[in-house]
Amino acid sequence: MTRPISLLRYFLFTFFIVSASTCVVIAQRDTITNYYETEQIKLPKGLRAETGGLDFMPDGRLIACFHLGEVMTYNPKTKVWKKFAEGLHDPLGVVAISNSEILVMQRPELTRIKDTNGDGIADVYETVTDDFGMSGNYHEFAFGPLKDKEGNYFIALNVASNGAGIRPEIRGTYDSLSREGRMYSCVPYRGWVMKYNVKTKKLEPYASGFRSPNGLGFDAKGRLYVSDNQGDWRGTSPLYHVEKGKFYGHVASLIWEKDFPRIKPLSLPVEKLDSMRTREAIAFPHTEIAHSVTQPLLDNTGGKFGPFTGQMFIGEMDYPRLVRLLFEEINGQMQGACVAFGDGTGLLKGNNRLVFDKNGDLWVGHNDHGWVGDEGLSRIHWKGKVPLDIMAMNLSSDGFELTFSLPVDAAVASNPSLYKFQRYYYKYHRPYGSPKTDIADVAVKEVKVSPDGKKVSIKLAELKAGYVYDLKMGELKTPNGQLLMNRAIYYTLNQLRK
Amino acid sequence: MRSVLIFLMFCIATSTFAQSDTTITLQAITGLQYDLARFAVKPSQKVTIVFKNVDDMAHNLVFTQPGKRLSVVETVIKMGDKAQATNYVPASTEVLAASKILIPNSTETFSFVAPPQEGVYPYVCTYPGHGYVMYGAMYVTTKALPPLSKDANIPPTRQIDAPVEIVSPHPFPLEYPLIYRTFMPDCGPAAIAVAINPNHSYCFDAGKCYLRYAWTGGFVDNTAHWKGNGNALAAIKGMIYFKDKVTYPLRIGKADKLPEVHFKGYSLQKRLPVFSYTLDGVAVKETLKSLIDDSGLSRTFSFGKPTQQTLYFVTQTDDGIVYKSSTGKWTNGVLMIPKGTTQLTLTMKRQTATHSVHHH
Repeated sequence: MTRPISLLRYFLFTFFIVSASTCVVIAQRDTITNYYETEQIKLPKGLRAETGGLDFMPDGRLIACFHLGEVMTYNPKTKVWKKFAEGLHDPLGVVAISNSEILVMQRPELTRIKDTNGDGIADVYETVTDDFGMSGNYHEFAFGPLKDKEGNYFIALNVASNGAGIRPEIRGTYDSLSREGRMYSCVPYRGWVMKYNVKTKKLEPYASGFRSPNGLGFDAKGRLYVSDNQGDWRGTSPLYHVEKGKFYGHVASLIWEKDFPRIKPLSLPVEKLDSMRTREAIAFPHTEIAHSVTQPLLDNTGGKFGPFTGQMFIGEMDYPRLVRLLFEEINGQMQGACVAFGDGTGLLKGNNRLVFDKNGDLWVGHNDHGWVGDEGLSRIHWKGKVPLDIMAMNLSSDGFELTFSLPVDAAVASNPSLYKFQRYYYKYHRPYGSPKTDIADVAVKEVKVSPDGKKVSIKLAELKAGYVYDLKMGELKTPNGQLLMNRAIYYTLNQLRK
Repeated sequence: MRSVLIFLMFCIATSTFAQSDTTITLQAITGLQYDLARFAVKPSQKVTIVFKNVDDMAHNLVFTQPGKRLSVVETVIKMGDKAQATNYVPASTEVLAASKILIPNSTETFSFVAPPQEGVYPYVCTYPGHGYVMYGAMYVTTKALPPLSKDANIPPTRQIDAPVEIVSPHPFPLEYPLIYRTFMPDCGPAAIAVAINPNHSYCFDAGKCYLRYAWTGGFVDNTAHWKGNGNALAAIKGMIYFKDKVTYPLRIGKADKLPEVHFKGYSLQKRLPVFSYTLDGVAVKETLKSLIDDSGLSRTFSFGKPTQQTLYFVTQTDDGIVYKSSTGKWTNGVLMIPKGTTQLTLTMKRQTATHSVHHH
């Protein structure tokens, strides 16, 4: 007898909520703060929070390392910061092994740091590997480690900058072959991604062609991605899908390739170098979406952080935002699109390091060292409601198919004038960065909205490999008035569908 | 630029240290004192002094012959009003070199050749009334200096070993021993600076696995290294009293063969690091402690198992250090460590400089 009444109540209640939220939407523009909120974490007195690395220990404590060599823990429950280790040289990455053991990548080595007497402070600093060269040039930063399923570690080694020389004493074999470049690699294996093999305990060269690879991450299928920064041989900031033995474009590191001839890499024709390199899976158009991308991170929260589980985010230094990555495999190669995330949530700049906690909150370590940015630590929390956003951008035979998180209003979305496409590319060359090159508008021929309202297929006048397809959309919305949160998306088209 | 750097690399690798010019920046600071209470130059070395007056009073800087500070100060007083015309510097063989009177916020640079005779040459401000308290000591020597606390050549207020309280740049107080991995001068790029206590520090090369040098008077200042692009080296606070000029001191099997070294890290015992490394596969643990009064270092080498070959510890006999070893036999500065050794303690006590204090 009571059941119909409950159901009636339920319907009435739902109706009230829906009307109430619709009223709110009408009264106030739908913004990202309806879905995500950002909180700044209070820092301990005396900390210069130039964050180099973040991870969580199994007991839920955050472990963080900073530019002045400190490694600190933060207990989110008690909000207490504690020293774990100190005295490190520019630590730029940390991985928690247990509640008393971590791995840190610092300039000279990958170090295992342990608290063996249980007092909460590390007392053992073991060198895991220092089997790579250092010229003493300031730009030879070291990034990682990233742990794979087998327990091996990937690290990435910067090249040196001609903004400074090398030291009278160096570590490793000196080779002057690449010294002429803006960035050079005069000791092994600068400009390489390296793999520390836990079985052989050897550091193995893995892939070459990097400049400033400040970010390593795996996707859901265990593919390795490494980011880099705009500069010489980097028309705009890229993200590479990194596979063993491949060359990723920055020429200085080529001299350490096995059997590479005794020639200056800069003496090779650009066409030759271009044919040797593997292109970036995603190019981040400079100033359009990013200036300096950082660490890629998989959303493995199982939905605790919103609708983007299984996708990757990447940090960005100069803008108060992250970037979301939408990959697809075309002809066996990864390529895809990037779209902003977090704009307007109150996030700071200098988004250098990212890590999810067990509750699905995303922690962001900020850094402004020698760069635009901010200092500090933030936590982004999903408030539980799904925003209207782009879930996928897939290449079709004659255009793109967009997938949205919610059904869009077909009457609005079917209007072709809502979609403005441009295409351009960034030159692969020796000078620093590249302008957008061969810019052209691409006409939209046809737009179709799927019956469920979640997919929009766009037929274009032309599709050409080797270009970024830059899509700016008008104000898309759901039938109940939720607005599209990010209206610009950039697809790196390396491969056309065969 | 590039070729110069490469050239420098070879020079350092192949040659010994040549006599070079030196530049000393010395400031007159508030409280009738110079920022440096003392400094050392080598006999006959060309010395350039950059003298800055950052105080709010006028000061000069007069170098005198050993023991002649008060004599010069009193001569100037006797000159009365006439002294001003000569910048309060008397025409006297007791004066070695002198600046003009500098008004606040001005700088003068002048050069002279250090005397060939080792000794303590005072410097003093001869502006009337200043000379009794505002002075310091230029050591002309190649040897280590005495501890500050035992140096009668500097003002009593400066005879303290521990630097004034240093503000921690970290979110925790500084505790000693204290370690920084940082870029250090005269070391490979993988360097470890260790302060055993606030006064006594050393630089360990984590690439080459040996003690490079040691100093007293403070630790390092990383301020410049930590800001900007990080190209700057850490600045040493204090005076280096020992530098290892031997390419690598420990040898295995043969005294003239350099071993292959690998750095393995360090553990902390009450914050004091115990370094681990291997020499041709032989595991070594090394602990460095301060001798009483920071008069040198005690280095304990422990080997994983009794050594199977003769080891050698090679020193340079004129490095200002008196070596003593718990085991082994010295021949011409080379210690022969017999097979079967599991632990060895080497003390390195610095020779103190010849005092040339003439009381007035």
